[in-house]
Amino acid sequence: MAKKRKRAADAAAEAGAAEKPDDSAPARPERTLFGFKEPPAPAPDAEPASAAVSPAAPLFRNKEKVLVTCSRRITFRYRHLMQDMVSLLPHAKKDSKVESKQSKGAALNELVELRNCSSCLFFECRKQKDLYLWMVKSPGGPSVKFLVNAVHTMEELKLTGNHLKGSRPLLTFSTNFDEQPHWKLVKEMLTQVFATPKDHRKAKPFHDHVFVFSIVDGHVWFRNYQISVPHNEIDKVDKGGLDKMTLIEVGPRFCLNPIKIFAGSFGGPTLYENPYYISPNQIRALEKRKKAGKYAKKVKAKVRRKMHEMENTLEPDEFADMWKGED
Amino acid sequence: RTPALFYAQRTPRRPRPPACLLFARAGGRRLPLRSKVEMVGLASEDPLIHDEVDMDDVDSDVEESDSEDDSGEEAQLTPSDKAIYNREAILEKLEDIAWPQKVDWMHKLTIDHDQGEKIDVNDDLARELAFYTQALDGTREAFEKLQSMKVRFLRPTDYYAEMVKTDAHMHKIKGRLLSEKKKIEEAEERKKAREARKRAKEVQAEKKKERAKQKKEEIENVKKWRKQRQQGGFAKGNDDGPDLNFEGEDGFKQSKKTRPGVSPGDRSGGLAKRGKEGKNRRSRDAKFGYGGRKGLKKQNTAETTNDFRSFNKGAESQNKKRKRS
Repeated sequence: MAKKRKRAADAAAEAGAAEKPDDSAPARPERTLFGFKEPPAPAPDAEPASAAVSPAAPLFRNKEKVLVTCSRRITFRYRHLMQDMVSLLPHAKKDSKVESKQSKGAALNELVELRNCSSCLFFECRKQKDLYLWMVKSPGGPSVKFLVNAVHTMEELKLTGNHLKGSRPLLTFSTNFDEQPHWKLVKEMLTQVFATPKDHRKAKPFHDHVFVFSIVDGHVWFRNYQISVPHNEIDKVDKGGLDKMTLIEVGPRFCLNPIKIFAGSFGGPTLYENPYYISPNQIRALEKRKKAGKYAKKVKAKVRRKMHEMENTLEPDEFADMWKGED
Repeated sequence: RTPALFYAQRTPRRPRPPACLLFARAGGRRLPLRSKVEMVGLASEDPLIHDEVDMDDVDSDVEESDSEDDSGEEAQLTPSDKAIYNREAILEKLEDIAWPQKVDWMHKLTIDHDQGEKIDVNDDLARELAFYTQALDGTREAFEKLQSMKVRFLRPTDYYAEMVKTDAHMHKIKGRLLSEKKKIEEAEERKKAREARKRAKEVQAEKKKERAKQKKEEIENVKKWRKQRQQGGFAKGNDDGPDLNFEGEDGFKQSKKTRPGVSPGDRSGGLAKRGKEGKNRRSRDAKFGYGGRKGLKKQNTAETTNDFRSFNKGAESQNKKRKRS
């Protein structure tokens, strides 16, 4: 929309020591989603956000673009999760499946560069059972690998909420994100990936859903709720309406278990390893081994019992021959 | 006000709060959390060639069980002290990628919420409640901020635009909610009917007793009057009948009992039983047609002429000449 450029130009002009050229033709009324907006008055109070906070700070524009891809042999549940993510993030670009055997990192880095994206969410499904999520900041940024559990997609009929597609979400983090450096990094990456840029083409104006990121037991839990609050006007909640606010879950929901953090994108030196992480393969192997030992243990127990009996023989029973003569 | 919450308890049913959505885990299995691992020798240098590769052969057939209770704990390994944790580098990277500090809140829209005390992960209800309160408090704060900034943030009811779930999907959801509600209501009704039936038996017994008593009383009354008349020598002019209390408290009442479920054309008066499969049979009849009478089929056909299956089996073996009574 043309208004974007214009606004930025205006803001820049204002920030640059108020050298507004007044001899140009009067500015057209700005077209916004709410209708036409009169050009801003000389006082810059109509430019809340993109105006610089202080004359010295540079203009900040969130140009985040996320590439969302998956590996081949991904199952339906995880594919639906990926599709849900694409619909939740209007600044995401979906790409076709990535054939991965070796040198996956190089191929993906190239792909991200090609599509001109600044970060990437790569869903990797192994053995059609385990889903790993790579969250990567593109040019040389850090990357985090997560194991995804407890996936519930938006398709589930028990998740009854609904919200505008492309509306900007409110993000809530629990305060334990600020306790440790690796969580801080994860929080920053989550913010950058999940927060829809303010002036994005596909972003819709209202705020009607909220994301919850919370750390419980060393995992990051994600929830998405629709906000329903009684209101009659669009910029003001009804009196006492904030107390009557309810949240309805929209979905999807998942739980991320961080495995490793790397310094580069899709590789590089390891910055952090999760000491509590066991790979799902190992868990399955442990289970199987436990079951495998059952028969051997039983045989051993039998042998032990026999030895025990041989060592401590019973004295002959006095009543053993009592019924012997009878048929 | 009770929030809408998810996740059925592992304990069996309990009375559900009204607007509550509880559901069991559907396929999303979680792997055990507090499992510890010895990373030595398992962490490979190249992160992309997975370190799970060497374990591949072991578990091709095993179904991944819901190992919440972490049954593999016997082979428990200590959390590795050798896990890498390069704090300075992490903080450096953070500086690299982070947005500038003075960024306006409208770009980020993040709220921090204090979780309070530790949440038990395995208690589904408590966990979801914690997430819900986090979202609620966060939204309240955000809305206050937005309101003070005079930003238009609430969606008007007539704003039609593409939603994240299609209308068809929402229709399915609605259908499901309605059918659930109906099921609950029907169960309640059935319970009430059962109770009422129990009570009805008692009430009926009482009524019977009452009626018997009344009858006895009236007979006594007539007898007394007769005796009186006898004693009075059957005097004429004293002809008031026995005091049978015609205009008493209740008066003469016609039975107002209606017989629901009895159609006027039903000559048995609703007493004829429709068989065991009442509801089912009736609904099937309504759907597929009545089925017709049994006897409209041919009985003597080519196949049935030589078909002796249904005849008396044991009779042939005995002597045919023996007279059978």
